[in-house]
Amino acid sequence: MTGAGGPDPSAPAVELTGITKRFGGIVACDQVDLTLHRGRVHGILGENGAGKSTLMKVLIGLVLPDAGSIRIDGQPCTIHDPLAAAALGIAMVHQHFSLVDQLSVWENVALGEEGRLKSAGVRDRVAAISQQYGLDIDPDARVGELTAGLRQRVEIIKCLRRNPHILVFDEPTSVLTPEESEQLFSTLREVVAAEGRAVVLVSHKLDEVLHATDEITIMRQGRVVDHLPTREAVARSLARAMVGREVSLRSERAAFGLAEIEDPDQEPSGNGENRQLAETTPSDEPVLRIEGVTVKGRGGARLLDDISLDLRAGEIVGVAGVEGNGQRTLGDLLSSLVPLDAGRVVVNDKEVPTGSPGAMARAGVAVIPEDRHDSGVVLDMTVVENLLMVDPHRVARHGVLDKARATETAQQMIEEFDIGCSGPDAPLWSLSGGNQQRVVLARELAAEPDVLVAAQPTRGLDVGAIEYMTDRLRQTAIDGVAVLLISSELEEILELADRIVVMSRGRIVGELSQADANLETLGLMMGGSTE
Amino acid sequence: MTRGARVAEWVVLYALSVAVALAISSVIVEATGGDWWPVLEALVDGSIKASGRWGETLGVAAPLLLVALGTVISAKAGLINIGQEGQLLMGAAFAVFFSFRIGGPGPLNVVLLLLFGALGGAVWASAAGLLRYWRGVPEVLSTLLLVFVAIQAVGYGLKWQWLLLADEASRGNRNLVSEQLAKNNRIPRPDIFGNEFPITVYVALALALAVAYVLARTVWGFRLRMLGHNPRAAQRSGVSSTVYGATALAIGGAFAGLAGAAMFAGGGFSFGNYRLVPGFSDNIGWTGLLVALMARERALPAVVAAFVFAMLRTGAGFVNSTGVESRITDVVQGLLVLALLVPPAVVFLRDRRRARAAATERV
Repeated sequence: MTGAGGPDPSAPAVELTGITKRFGGIVACDQVDLTLHRGRVHGILGENGAGKSTLMKVLIGLVLPDAGSIRIDGQPCTIHDPLAAAALGIAMVHQHFSLVDQLSVWENVALGEEGRLKSAGVRDRVAAISQQYGLDIDPDARVGELTAGLRQRVEIIKCLRRNPHILVFDEPTSVLTPEESEQLFSTLREVVAAEGRAVVLVSHKLDEVLHATDEITIMRQGRVVDHLPTREAVARSLARAMVGREVSLRSERAAFGLAEIEDPDQEPSGNGENRQLAETTPSDEPVLRIEGVTVKGRGGARLLDDISLDLRAGEIVGVAGVEGNGQRTLGDLLSSLVPLDAGRVVVNDKEVPTGSPGAMARAGVAVIPEDRHDSGVVLDMTVVENLLMVDPHRVARHGVLDKARATETAQQMIEEFDIGCSGPDAPLWSLSGGNQQRVVLARELAAEPDVLVAAQPTRGLDVGAIEYMTDRLRQTAIDGVAVLLISSELEEILELADRIVVMSRGRIVGELSQADANLETLGLMMGGSTE
Repeated sequence: MTRGARVAEWVVLYALSVAVALAISSVIVEATGGDWWPVLEALVDGSIKASGRWGETLGVAAPLLLVALGTVISAKAGLINIGQEGQLLMGAAFAVFFSFRIGGPGPLNVVLLLLFGALGGAVWASAAGLLRYWRGVPEVLSTLLLVFVAIQAVGYGLKWQWLLLADEASRGNRNLVSEQLAKNNRIPRPDIFGNEFPITVYVALALALAVAYVLARTVWGFRLRMLGHNPRAAQRSGVSSTVYGATALAIGGAFAGLAGAAMFAGGGFSFGNYRLVPGFSDNIGWTGLLVALMARERALPAVVAAFVFAMLRTGAGFVNSTGVESRITDVVQGLLVLALLVPPAVVFLRDRRRARAAATERV
């Protein structure tokens, strides 16, 4: 299990002992021990805020610990900054990419290198690495035009080029499609097995940790709660250790993506019952009608190509597809952010002037956007302000905001949706991602919409937050709202949607009822197969 | 950080940066053969100490504050209007045209003259708004370039009697000068403890309160700030960037235009002595921009910032009489301006870094 070479092959690659880090009154890491061995993939499992990211930041020199010691290959050392970490052979593939969109792949890879830049040399190196690890990519492609999966490849190549001994992946699959994740894990195996590197996989997805690691450390509230070899791990006990309580079977499936581990034919118990409830408010008249809609991007590319879709009250329609096939544009369209080139959008029998500010919101279409920082929230404003963004007149008289009423309304929403924040006047950026998402959800549902568009609603959220979001969406549909669920997580769609459409290259290439849908047929359709 | 700690931090930052600027200034003045102490004394005398000087300083602070308030409003919408100098000049020109070609005597006329000034500034800023929202020309370019167009346009107006030029009887042998505003058309300058200043000072203060209130407490201000922070979220929430942005630019220009009119009708000897002349705006537009910068684009801090910049200006008038070469005193003034802008920049950069760190911390 130890790799060839290295100063002291018997010593573990990394030994973190008693690492403690406080931020103000919050203990992010509390006496954490972690040992990484060469030739092994070490999974670190935990909810958001469990201290995983902080621990990794300590390792790569972004955060200085308050206490504790670090040994690399048996040698004690301190890591003051990322450069020192790089010198020690530690590299990290970040959750949020640090790439320059305007530059090409090889330029991005070379970024940060010192000395004279030889483009041919870098290109060859990129080609060699991509071949060696099966990370197929065009070195001359512009990064801004790549999909999330390809960008991650660039990020990985960037790391591998420095030939690190220790490689950290922070939530690597949060932006990937299932196939891309699969590919990533095989690369990971390669990196570990053939070259004796130590790899850390930070994740909150049980499935992938069970699937791709050799040993697992579970963190909760800044502490290590368990450490065990993967072959001895059982999904259910891992989940319990991670959350600190029993998780309901239903949301467990969604949160951990366990569909592949458990029997995929076994339907979650809650769903059938819910659909029955939904059918008690039958409605044949569609609330939202998208008719022959075409949206062209810059340069005339068809981002949406003649799309037609009906949505009825009380149903959840899932839009599946590999990312970058028009889902984002569909979300933007329903957020009044892009005008149409052809077709029309009708809500409650009224045509909506798409692209006109706030038109969709006024028509009764609420949106949980794919990237909440893009159009969902204003980070520099307070929680109250974000909660009242769409309809400030609710708490205003003659155009003047009633501060007491605004605070009161916000306080109610904060309680109802259990938004974790220091108060209504806390700036939104001080909230965790899950709580920011709850702010969006609370606001959009407060508008009592007829249609709710949820684009990647659980992306990047932790177990508890996913469970909450999933329940809310289902409840919203039961309450008679037409829900459009745009997601690249197939399990999520399979679990929630009554009807599923598949998008590919801006078109709707197929439609399935929930009964007919399974991972395989959907996968085939997403891949463009017309069987 | 508590409120007290924040205040203490500002005080320390300003004390430090001003002290450094003064220290460097003293070295420069002494090294070039001047005397430092009289320079410092003149600065204090000219701005507040000598008789009648703080009134003079207030009179300068009022237009600076008005310009800064307009800047704050367009900045909140996420727009970078840097053409206040031209908008101010246009406002003055509109006020002059109204006074001598349209209006009559009396107090009502003073009010109308000020409104015309605001209209002039608004028109000039709206030209930039039109270019931005109709053709996508960045407002940072158009507002700046329109300053030079304004200078030329007003110069042209001052060549023609039917526009701005005074008739021969009233201009004597001078060229390019407007008539002098009649006494009953001027903004009153009551005397308080031996200090005179136009009552537009109170107007400017009231407007500062109004702007702060509107931005913080009204739906309009709320939506304007939303647009400035995140245009896409604003668009989705029903804020039209065209309507709100163009309005914010126009209001910003109106404030600058109002400042120009107030300078013309209330300025005394500081500003052209009730006549419009080329160069009338005298950098008040540019300086007002710095005031807004020092106030970190907030209305109430702009009140203090405007007074401080006005002090620098009135003080500098006295420094020029100390015998130290004017190029050197210009350097001193520049250093002090820089010292005023360093603390806001430091705090801005630090806050942003903290916010980013917090944002990544919580992923």
